[in-house]
Amino acid sequence: MSPQRRLLILDDDPDFVEGIRAILESAGYAVDAAYNPKAGFEALKARPYDLLLLDIMMGRGAEGVMIARKMRKDPKLSQIPVLIITGIREQIAFLFPGQPVHPHFLPVDELVEKPVEPQFLLDKVSALLQAAERRKAQAS
Amino acid sequence: MDNRYKIVIIDDEEIVLDSCTQILQGYDYHVATATDGTTGLTLVREIRPDLVFVDLKMPGISGFEVLDQVRASDPTIVTVVITGYATVSSAVDAMKKGAYDFLPKPFTPEEFRLITQRGLEKRRLVLETIALKREKEMLRDNFAAIVSHELKAPLSAIQQNLFVLAQELSATLPEGQRNRLERMKLRLDELLKLIQTWLRLSSADIAIIQASFRPVSVASVLWKAIESVQQHATRKNIHIRATVEEQLRPVSGDEGTLTEAFVNIIGNAIKYSYPNSSVSVEARAQDDRILTAVADTGVGIASEDLPFVFEDFYRGKAGPAGEQGSGLGLAITRRIIEAHGGSVTVESELGRGSTFLVALPAAAGLPAEPGTDSAVPAHCQEGGLL
Repeated sequence: MSPQRRLLILDDDPDFVEGIRAILESAGYAVDAAYNPKAGFEALKARPYDLLLLDIMMGRGAEGVMIARKMRKDPKLSQIPVLIITGIREQIAFLFPGQPVHPHFLPVDELVEKPVEPQFLLDKVSALLQAAERRKAQAS
Repeated sequence: MDNRYKIVIIDDEEIVLDSCTQILQGYDYHVATATDGTTGLTLVREIRPDLVFVDLKMPGISGFEVLDQVRASDPTIVTVVITGYATVSSAVDAMKKGAYDFLPKPFTPEEFRLITQRGLEKRRLVLETIALKREKEMLRDNFAAIVSHELKAPLSAIQQNLFVLAQELSATLPEGQRNRLERMKLRLDELLKLIQTWLRLSSADIAIIQASFRPVSVASVLWKAIESVQQHATRKNIHIRATVEEQLRPVSGDEGTLTEAFVNIIGNAIKYSYPNSSVSVEARAQDDRILTAVADTGVGIASEDLPFVFEDFYRGKAGPAGEQGSGLGLAITRRIIEAHGGSVTVESELGRGSTFLVALPAAAGLPAEPGTDSAVPAHCQEGGLL
């Protein structure tokens, strides 16, 4: 049996976080949550996570994008798979004139839309975790 | 970054330049001077000043000419004319040409300081007005997106928790209550989609997107569209088979709205398909156009309804699972495709399925992108589910 995986949810809507958390916990994951970008980034640095579930629209705008960009620059954090869960569809690129929202901030990204069906979410999470595992095995 | 106000003074009398520079010493301004119009204009282009003083009577190109060219290079730069003969008429002429103020020679240091400060204040107001106007336009253009986010966020949170409740209670709830929960999920889903399309329609004119057209790969548009509807397809066990011809030329367009158009068409194909069937998406080149066909084997459209499917608020018969649309998806799609100089048509037979054909003009003078096909990941090309 592999050790329990620890996931972090970063989303400013506590009700939404609870909905996601319940699904993940029922599947046996350990789940932490942070409700703003700053706390989220601190949590990421404080302990190792196997996966980040990231909201895009937080605070004053697309602050989730900033988090993703910051993670890419950090050699340690850039290895963490990121699953973006967002209420905005990618095609609403005009929300950020001249700066289209693109899901592929990191080579390991996936994007799902809010709300997300439980099984679909679990499939995505486990696929990302497995892919990360394979990368790690290849690297060593 | 130098945040100081920048001032350029153009006058053929060195004594004027020297004294002006001296008067402004002690203020936190960046002052540059030139003794003729040509040098002055080079300076203006280089340092992009906030305020320019121009002597009207100079050898070489005239002060009026300088004024015109400053205005042409940046109309937000505030200009003040220095007039040698204290004639009001030439100052008035200059102000008609857009000069903000005039400074009659000879002038006292106090007059020069005052006019400088007035000029810079005017500049500040001009920049502030532009910033406010831009903000207002952005708010207007993005109103739909902002409101849609505000409305969707709480609904998404409710829906997410309903998903969890339905799962947690699936074993304990009697069938009647379970059905009620399912209906709630369905209605909430409809509401979410309605907000999306409705606000989209009321947002800025789609023709505006033409200003930002760039070469866009059809393959990557189709891939994104398929990715976005995959969840719905998986739920109905519908297989999306995508084949994109290699080396397709790009089209000139807006990736976001084009993706939206294909999300609508492919999403419709899924909506009106029977479970366990398949939808095919095929893109190829024909002459100077890129043709994309989206075909389903679903409920089809009656021939008497065909002429109306692209009209606002036209709603087809419900899909096999009772799915209804807002009646706007295809209307928006047609607008998007037409804004791209393309066309969208449909062939359908009731009970046999529909085929939507989108034709987009290939971008002129652009070669086929190498490896276009690689933009579609393997799982989409093979038509496999995720």
